[in-house]
Amino acid sequence: MNRDINIKATRINCFRQSKVDGIFMLQMRVPGGMVDAKYLEMIQYMAKTWGDGNFHFGTRQTFDIPGIKYDDIPAVNAYIENYIKEVDAEMCDVDMNKIAGEPAEWDPSSGYPTIGARNITACIGNYHCICGNINTFELARKLEKIIFPSHYHIKINIAGCPNDCNKAHLCDFGIIGTYKFDYHPERCIGCGLCAKKCEHGATRVLSLDEGTAKILKDPCCCVGCGECARACPTSAWQRHPEPLYRVILGGRTGRQTPRLGKMFLNWASEDVIIAVLKNWQKFSAWVMDYKPEYLHGGHLIDRAGYKKFKEIMLDGVELNPECMVAEDIFWNETEYRSNFNVKPIEMHHHAGPQD
Amino acid sequence: MSYKLSKQDVCCLFEKLSEKYDIYAPKRVKNAGRFSETDIVQYDRISDLSEIVWDEKSTYPMKEVLSPIQQTLFYFTEDEYRASKGKTRPMLIFARPCDINAMKIQARIYAGNGGFVDMYYQRMHDLAKYILMPCNGGDDTCFCVSMGTNTTDLYSMAVKPVDDGMLVEVTDEDLAPYFEKAEAAEFAPEFVQENELKAVIPEIPDKEVLNALKKHPMWKQFNGRCISCGACTIACSTCTCFTTRDVIYGDNPEVGERRRVSASCQIDTFAKVAGGGDYRTTAGDRMRYKMLHKFHDYKARFGESHMCVGCGRCTGRCPEFISITVTLRKMYDAVEEIKKELGR
Amino acid sequence: MTNYMQPQPYEIISVKHETDIEYTFRIATDIKPEHGQFLQLSIPKIGECPISVSEQGDGWLEFTIRKVGKLTDVIFQKKAGDCLFLRGPYGKGWPMDQIKGKHLFVVAGGTGVSPVRSLLNYCVKNEDFVKSVSLICGFKSYDSVLFRNDLEKWNEKFNTWFCLDNEEHEGFNKGFVTAYVDQLPLAAVKEAGEDYAVVVVGPPPMMKFTGIELLKNGFEEEKIWMSFERKMSCAIGKCGHCRIDEVYVCLDGPCFPYTVAKDLVD
Repeated sequence: MNRDINIKATRINCFRQSKVDGIFMLQMRVPGGMVDAKYLEMIQYMAKTWGDGNFHFGTRQTFDIPGIKYDDIPAVNAYIENYIKEVDAEMCDVDMNKIAGEPAEWDPSSGYPTIGARNITACIGNYHCICGNINTFELARKLEKIIFPSHYHIKINIAGCPNDCNKAHLCDFGIIGTYKFDYHPERCIGCGLCAKKCEHGATRVLSLDEGTAKILKDPCCCVGCGECARACPTSAWQRHPEPLYRVILGGRTGRQTPRLGKMFLNWASEDVIIAVLKNWQKFSAWVMDYKPEYLHGGHLIDRAGYKKFKEIMLDGVELNPECMVAEDIFWNETEYRSNFNVKPIEMHHHAGPQD
Repeated sequence: MSYKLSKQDVCCLFEKLSEKYDIYAPKRVKNAGRFSETDIVQYDRISDLSEIVWDEKSTYPMKEVLSPIQQTLFYFTEDEYRASKGKTRPMLIFARPCDINAMKIQARIYAGNGGFVDMYYQRMHDLAKYILMPCNGGDDTCFCVSMGTNTTDLYSMAVKPVDDGMLVEVTDEDLAPYFEKAEAAEFAPEFVQENELKAVIPEIPDKEVLNALKKHPMWKQFNGRCISCGACTIACSTCTCFTTRDVIYGDNPEVGERRRVSASCQIDTFAKVAGGGDYRTTAGDRMRYKMLHKFHDYKARFGESHMCVGCGRCTGRCPEFISITVTLRKMYDAVEEIKKELGR
Repeated sequence: MTNYMQPQPYEIISVKHETDIEYTFRIATDIKPEHGQFLQLSIPKIGECPISVSEQGDGWLEFTIRKVGKLTDVIFQKKAGDCLFLRGPYGKGWPMDQIKGKHLFVVAGGTGVSPVRSLLNYCVKNEDFVKSVSLICGFKSYDSVLFRNDLEKWNEKFNTWFCLDNEEHEGFNKGFVTAYVDQLPLAAVKEAGEDYAVVVVGPPPMMKFTGIELLKNGFEEEKIWMSFERKMSCAIGKCGHCRIDEVYVCLDGPCFPYTVAKDLVD
């Protein structure tokens, strides 16, 4: 089939090339993986009208509609105008007329303006889950406007609790909802159930003091999951009024160096999370010499090095008093090829402004 | 006498009462629930009427004011146990009929059983006066009407907040002086006449039926369901059981205190004796022990009423969704089955 | 207001080692318990536990304590002149009016000998109190035999069957106490047209099976008494630990008529 298609442009427009010439799959953003179920009718209509009748749950919680013909893209884009306006512009308060913070007029009938910042995924969180510490999709909706629209790539996964069902450990910037807890010894009957649960399901930071029949805690290793509060029959463990967040940095899958992320921030407030992420565009721009190219967020951190990342990301951020920051991070990569990084010096990547 | 107070009068009244009394009421504790962003309502001292939760049953019972989960009995040194002094200021406690009736039941144990009066309970009891709060029939776990605890006359004052103030009935002479200038009104507290939930209570006629019920297979189902956490008994309006324990201060082993802390018959350490013996080894045994106390044993000892006041807090707090009324129904059916077998 | 939970200090007069793990403490006190009653014993920082009186005399009481748990471990470091705290006595002891003038049968096992020791010695000292005493007394092994001096004395004065659960030793039979119930001289007592009372103390299974054995051998259940052990925190009917049905062991026991005891299912 003889086609003249600008594949890069369709990709930025969130239409992904298929192995069949001229056939694309639309990926629609669902920040935090949660929207009004009314949109499912819309998805069904699109799949039946322009797609091949099937629907796929995107691995990043997008609505994926395969089988769309290239020529139908303008019609599909016109149809999703309301969806983008309602979900991104209104619900997430995204300024669609900016890209990475810079003015860029958006034609509402032209579909998604960028693909760089990936859909923010989230588990169901405490909207439903008994383990959840935070409302994950509400946080996703607050973060959406910080990272989108932008050509700079970042994958953010939000997990409601340290169980991390949503794999905050496997993305660039993984956010885990936690709490600090107050222990009320005057309500404690010394049953030791919290200590048992902590040992069984968390980090074994609690123990029952046989002498006092009260609980001892090793606060340094507490992951803030809330198993203690969930188990306590007397409400002797009570959450602080506001949740805190752990950020797991630089996890990824991939062909080259997959790895689990490592802890960047612990016990950060929501304000800190938002302030740090606001520096992401600045960091990405610096690494790539202000020329966005298609490069995964984790590789940007690799090129700059963690300390540079930290310097830019924490710039102007007022940390909450509880917040702890990793001084350094030593990732443990799976090197499919040994000494992957040992290569001729001219093959090395550069980071930061090039003169 | 009954009165109608304006909003301002209500504020003045409670300010004046606060000069003499510590005022306790159900109060919301944000985010203290089992799950995140869930609250509990528990009894606490209040400094302002706006702190009172009027429209929701408290998660934990009023008993926590008189018999707190943890209480210091003695301070000790090497050669002396000195009794704790305790409160001296009188208390006004906002409560509904279930909680007030529960105090009668606790008192029969603490201040009556065996002819011994528990000083620590009694001295709190003597300081307490009750302010009857209106109850709208509670939630779907409440069954006070089935237990006959929906009414009470054991109150010093009954109140009902209305749009422009509060209706008050005063039955206690000690409080009469606070109302000398108040406007008289027609008001008598209303009591819940019907709950959505109705409990069936088994009649256990004799020891033979009782012991057959103890052996009934119905209790075995709880071995798999009940996790023996004790939440039901801590939330119970009437449970009194406790364990005493000596605790030392820091690194000085010669000084410390003897405390009593609420104990639960549902927790596996409750019936252990020196040397490792245990009289109730399964969750089913312990559930049976609790149910029979609430709906047979207490009444067999003290007469008059069953121990349970039907507040439903045990059902509300059970993390495994074990409903006391459903369990009671099973117990009722088992008793009927046993009676039939025994030809009663 | 009386504070029934208030412990008072008393001085230890002497400490006698019965076995490696069982010591008898003689404490100077004017408390005069009935035979079979118990007291609450406490030591600052360790806590409080119920303890039966194993012997009493003018101005003193004896308690025989086995080394189990934290509380008792610390008691074992106490010496003459040190102080222990007591409150009590509590509960209902042995029914002396039901025993008086009759033939007394006693079946006791292990530490269960403590709560009957003062009763037995009372019978030694007051020969007219009962017509006769028949005593079955069992221990796990020879090393765990308690009150050896008393056993000798009882052996002289009473009909005795001393036994060890699973050990051969001179002066002891091998086997459980239940094996000797049929040797108790019940027939002779009945033949003489005289009355009797039975007292049983020991671990719960031992009491259960002894009860069954007694009935099998023609003993009448209304003449049998048993003593229960529970770990109460208050001893005054408040803490709930010793409740069985509508009965509180601390108030209504620890000594119960068998007619009540047989229905007390925990």
